[in-house]
Amino acid sequence: MSDALRNENDKPSRPRGSTRRRVIRRGLGTVAAVSGTAAALRPMLTARAGGDATALAEPPAAVEAAPVPGAGAALFDEVYRGRRIQGFSSAGDAGVDIRIDGRALGVMRRVDGSFISMANHYQPFPTALGTARAAVDQIGRAQLSANAEHHH
Amino acid sequence: MYTRINQRHLTSTQRARFVEAVLELKRMGSYDQYVVTHAKYFAADGESGLRVAHMAPTFFPWHRRFLLQFESDLRMLDPGVSLPYWDWTVDNSKDSPLWGPDFMGGDGRDSDGQVMTGPFAYQTGDWPIRYGVTDEKFLTRNLGRPYHPIKLPTRTELSNALGNPVYDVAPWNSAPTTKGFRNTIEGWTVSDTKGGYLHNRVHQWVGGHMVGGTSPNDPVFWLHHAFLDLVWDRWQRKHPRSSYLPAKPLSAKVPEHGRVISADEPMPPWNEKPSQWFDHRRYYRYEES
Repeated sequence: MSDALRNENDKPSRPRGSTRRRVIRRGLGTVAAVSGTAAALRPMLTARAGGDATALAEPPAAVEAAPVPGAGAALFDEVYRGRRIQGFSSAGDAGVDIRIDGRALGVMRRVDGSFISMANHYQPFPTALGTARAAVDQIGRAQLSANAEHHH
Repeated sequence: MYTRINQRHLTSTQRARFVEAVLELKRMGSYDQYVVTHAKYFAADGESGLRVAHMAPTFFPWHRRFLLQFESDLRMLDPGVSLPYWDWTVDNSKDSPLWGPDFMGGDGRDSDGQVMTGPFAYQTGDWPIRYGVTDEKFLTRNLGRPYHPIKLPTRTELSNALGNPVYDVAPWNSAPTTKGFRNTIEGWTVSDTKGGYLHNRVHQWVGGHMVGGTSPNDPVFWLHHAFLDLVWDRWQRKHPRSSYLPAKPLSAKVPEHGRVISADEPMPPWNEKPSQWFDHRRYYRYEES
């Protein structure tokens, strides 16, 4: 755990949603969203109107080849604060598989369609993309642990 | 029978003995099993399966039983120790002695959230994080969430929640329309400005490990939940004609059948009825102040 990795300055006028832990330059990655993923979201959920609009709004220009074996359609793939965040539709309970630099982030779905993640377990976010970004805000430069996925 | 007291009234000796028992449990490896158990029983209501610890009526009895088991472990090591509670409506500042270097230790540092003071700081060698959300081995906090500040719940917010005479209502979940006492206290409703409500907002206010899926890594978890356990007591005293709901197993016709536990159904992992835990006075009492 080298402090040299962490001690860059995090100066004032931080954008909303940043944390004091953030030491990373702001990523300017592109959201690569895919149409047709709404069907992959769990229909039983009474998702709020527009709940996943952020992740689903734009048809894709080009989606990078999914590096996650067996993953479903890509919902987003961007660099956020220096971390690569990806979301894929999934047949699992949460309906989405989120990765940060390739490592799986444990995610659960609430009855109103919002998500909680292992990084923000007591704070739901309405979209999968928002959940992934907030997890990066929370963990900073740390790597997700191999046991960060949920086990039921 | 023993008492649980407000952490602000602990003597320095009591503070030291509590800390020492917790550290000893950590050395033995038992402490980390509580971290794992809590994560294992945290299920969400937008998915399938049984929920016991959160987003469910058993929120109170499950945590009561969980705390009692932990406390029993501590008392095996030191019979003079009991769980103190943290009344966050009163001790609502990061300057509270709760966060003193002889007790919980202080806030995380700016760069990486690492707690640098007190008995649970990484450099003491006594508190390595073994089951974390990340690979980091040190305890983290972010008191008050300075990047997007929130305040701990107030006395008024708590007393408003306590005014609700109905323990829980169908469909027994975390939806904002589920307006019973239990769901209000759990506090899943999202507000950008205020954060969640009571229980959830305290997890958010402490930050770091406390807001993640391995929250018992922060020993303040136990003090927070001891207070919620007392809050359940207060609600019972205030509404003597109210009781835990659902009282009976749910009909197989309703969607929540098999997903929540009524008063006399077995509650895992102990397979004890919630009704066995409506009254804790054969074990401990609270000395309120």
